[in-house]
Amino acid sequence: MAPEATLPLTDRRPDSVICRRDGRAITAGALFAAAAALARRLPADGGAEGPAEGPAAAPRAINVCAGRDRMLVGFVAALLRGHATLLNADPAPERLRALAERHPGAYVLADAPVAGDPGLPVLQVPAVAPEAAAPGPLPRIPARRVVAIGFTSGSTGAPTEHRKPWEALVAAAQAAAERFGLDDPAAPASLVATVPPQHMYGFETTIMLPLWAPVAIQAGASFFPNDVLDALEGVPAPRVLVTTPLHLRALLAEGRAPALLAAVISATAPLGPGLAEAVERDWGAPMLEIYGATEAGSMASRRSLHEPDWLPYRGVGIGPDSARIPGLGEVALADLLEPQPDGRVRLLGRRADVIKLGGRRASLADLNRRLLEVEGVVDGAFVAPEDLAADPAARLMAFAVAPGRSAEAILAALRRTVEPLFLPRPLLLVPALPRDRLGKLSHPALAAMRHAAQKGG
Amino acid sequence: MTSGAPASETIAAPAALLPQELDLARLIVSVLSLEVAPEEIAPEAPLFNQGLGLDSIDALEIALAVSKTYDVKLRSDDERNHRIFASLRSLSAYIETHRAR
Repeated sequence: MAPEATLPLTDRRPDSVICRRDGRAITAGALFAAAAALARRLPADGGAEGPAEGPAAAPRAINVCAGRDRMLVGFVAALLRGHATLLNADPAPERLRALAERHPGAYVLADAPVAGDPGLPVLQVPAVAPEAAAPGPLPRIPARRVVAIGFTSGSTGAPTEHRKPWEALVAAAQAAAERFGLDDPAAPASLVATVPPQHMYGFETTIMLPLWAPVAIQAGASFFPNDVLDALEGVPAPRVLVTTPLHLRALLAEGRAPALLAAVISATAPLGPGLAEAVERDWGAPMLEIYGATEAGSMASRRSLHEPDWLPYRGVGIGPDSARIPGLGEVALADLLEPQPDGRVRLLGRRADVIKLGGRRASLADLNRRLLEVEGVVDGAFVAPEDLAADPAARLMAFAVAPGRSAEAILAALRRTVEPLFLPRPLLLVPALPRDRLGKLSHPALAAMRHAAQKGG
Repeated sequence: MTSGAPASETIAAPAALLPQELDLARLIVSVLSLEVAPEEIAPEAPLFNQGLGLDSIDALEIALAVSKTYDVKLRSDDERNHRIFASLRSLSAYIETHRAR
């Protein structure tokens, strides 16, 4: 029998800088030392587990760390023990309990106190001691072992899981490093990111990339515009900002010039031409965009201002509605794509009914179903604004027919089953919906209602 | 801004807002297109999750509007950050002590 294929855990030299916090450099060696120490404290194997999952009975780590240094330490520690990491940022006790129900034996890795009682073990990931010596040779990881599980949450309370084998994550990190010129050890880049490390895009760029490319990720706060601008000033060039259209819009509006940037990378939603142009003109940096999905990971990129079409990553093949991903095989996509003669692909739009907000997906049909489940609602429909893709701050609206109930009461009920992001703004009560004789709601009829509502105020 | 929604189920008479709190409430309602009258926001109620039901996208929008209107820069590395954003009252108090006059 052929021996199981394995891949290294990292290709970083122990003395290279993998991370920075508060202006202090953390070497790969120090980070792995912290991970090895944490690995020894992780819960013992013991639950029930299928054979293809990794070592028999390996529990899973729910890594909710907000700091990218601790997220990295926790992820590597779990990796060293053969535990897959659940990519979930939400530390709410009910969410943690729900995950543990699906993954018996799961434990939480955190870098802040977890409120309430989630009913499962919570381990605090300690800070990395910068002077710690490298722990010696690191084990190789079975290439097909599932090491991370991403979630597409959509509008429902039961997210879909997407299992990531080590080889798929490594291939994607290497392809991204090559694509963005982040593979030169003589010119290591500093990455500052606004995306949570538990989002698949954030995980690939701020956890996997530092393990497989000569980059240093900034670990401190980088959410509000001034956090991000301060963080950029605090790291050495070349600097790369990893962000989203939503954050770019806020950053540009802040009006404060960022430190010199080598590149700006955006993903999660298509970037409007206005934002891309502003970045290239005002910041003097190439505006690059990644096309990806939680199921498939990053698949292609483009320079937004000059390239309408997307160039697939090395090894990735993109068809009309699916992609062939190294380490994953054929993955269905929620988008419609058109391969071009030059090897690039054109993004035609999302398949019917699926909408995307703030990097999260939901089905309008599913949202409608949840609205109709609210007591007293006899009819109702969610409507996506036309500029949903172009306006990063756009929200859904909804119409409801609910005699005797208030919009507030319906919203309060919806809040129990729908993620806050997808709650309608506004929810308007109407006497009836413009359904045709077949009971269908036509797009023009809904659009007319929306316009009337927005104009009438 | 009004909607077709009757306010019949709004129960509690809101506590009085200070003038600067009302200004901030107007700003938040306007930039987030909220379906609530500024006067009706309870000053001590949580802005996020259960209270007004705001989320992290809203936090960015509020930070931006506060920066433009009051020239106060919100930062998340501030240890007091979750307390600043806890309620309209706390956010307003933070702005009042930090705003450029």
